[in-house]
Amino acid sequence: MIRSIVLSTIILVACSLAQSTWFGGIAIFGVVPDVGLVVLIWISYRNGLVEGPVCGFLSGLAEDFLSSSPLGFHAFIRTAVAASASLLHGIFFVDKLLLPVALGVAGTLAKAVAAGALHLLFGSAVHVYSLTDRTLWIEAAYNGLISPIIFLVLTPLSRFLVTDRGRR
Amino acid sequence: MPVTRPKAEGRGRRAVAPILLAASLLCLTVSTRSLEGVPESLGLSLLGFFQRGFSSVGAFVADTVASIAELHKLRDDYTELTEKLERYTNMERGLADLREENKRLKEQLGFSQDIAYERIASRIVAKDPENLYSTITIDKGIGDGIRKNMPVIAFQDGLEGLVGRVVEVGRGTSKIVPLYDSKSFVAARFSTASRTEGLVGGQGSPDYPLLMRFVTKQAKDALQFGDLVSTTGYDSIYPPEVAIGRVRKVRILEYQTSIDVELDPVLDFSRLEYVFVIKPDVSAQQTPGDGAAGEPSK
Repeated sequence: MIRSIVLSTIILVACSLAQSTWFGGIAIFGVVPDVGLVVLIWISYRNGLVEGPVCGFLSGLAEDFLSSSPLGFHAFIRTAVAASASLLHGIFFVDKLLLPVALGVAGTLAKAVAAGALHLLFGSAVHVYSLTDRTLWIEAAYNGLISPIIFLVLTPLSRFLVTDRGRR
Repeated sequence: MPVTRPKAEGRGRRAVAPILLAASLLCLTVSTRSLEGVPESLGLSLLGFFQRGFSSVGAFVADTVASIAELHKLRDDYTELTEKLERYTNMERGLADLREENKRLKEQLGFSQDIAYERIASRIVAKDPENLYSTITIDKGIGDGIRKNMPVIAFQDGLEGLVGRVVEVGRGTSKIVPLYDSKSFVAARFSTASRTEGLVGGQGSPDYPLLMRFVTKQAKDALQFGDLVSTTGYDSIYPPEVAIGRVRKVRILEYQTSIDVELDPVLDFSRLEYVFVIKPDVSAQQTPGDGAAGEPSK
């Protein structure tokens, strides 16, 4: 379990670093895809209740250091999204297209809901997505689009990223 | 299609997510009430190292690809530039005379040629990984003399423009909040004859215009499309007369006592690569009676 958590967290932090440095070139209307979120959804969905939220919390903390968000903002959002995805563990058969797209879009919307909840608690100290702003919808569509590819890339790594309990 | 049901998880496993969510909330509670940014600064110092590494690798790959294409262009440019060089050598002789004359005239007018502030040139290595926030990360940190709240400017198309201010400093990297961030506010005035003042803030994205608020209604007739807006220097963070943006649209609401003015930033933030962090001039901040440091007061 520890090996899975450590490797997953390293991959997630690498995703955040790549997002902040390389992804400017693939932005659509200034919006970059949240690859880390999609990877986290896959890890949580495949592993269950512990590994996903722990990886989400640790990688979220790392992202807080890279972002101007208050410390704990991304940690909360990623833990919440990972916990939600891990609740679906083993319920559906993961096909190659539809479920990954649905999880990518739903994960982005869950992230927006979590940010909204934090905004209610902490006011203007945290930023929130606006439903009327294109950013949220572009990001949701973008994440949905890349999810099948990321799921496909991660599947051969199951041996390292998914625990025995998750594979059962 | 349902295939399996999740097995009953132990109570301990179920408790992990709520514990971590609570820990996140605790972090948020502490950080939003500010612990002088200490944990953020430590984290930035650590991750900034890796971020610079990622940026360097990306830049290397991009540069290599670009340099191949550029090689062909360079050959043509070389021939063209050789001809230009000959022309400019002749022009330079005349320019040196003009420069001397300009210097003399400025001295007579009492203008100071001294630069009022020191600038630290920095390269942008990263942007915020999230779409919700708009931080810019530069490759200079505390070791290079950068401190929190230092203003940041850039030059683009021959124009000096305001980028934002430093909000967090790590050992080798620093975070800048750009002008267009929704939490960024700058005291500003029109550079036209009216000199009307207001407060410029961002709307969260470089795609949206900057918004200048609290502009007195009397100024509306004097405003014109393209009028330049610069810093006032009142807020003690930004130096005066640094260009911010140009008037794009004026919003007049009858029930308001002031008008809102939309501005196009003078800088194209999507093209920014290098910025200059301005070190505040300590001597300029001393009152005339302060005297030199270490001098006994009388």
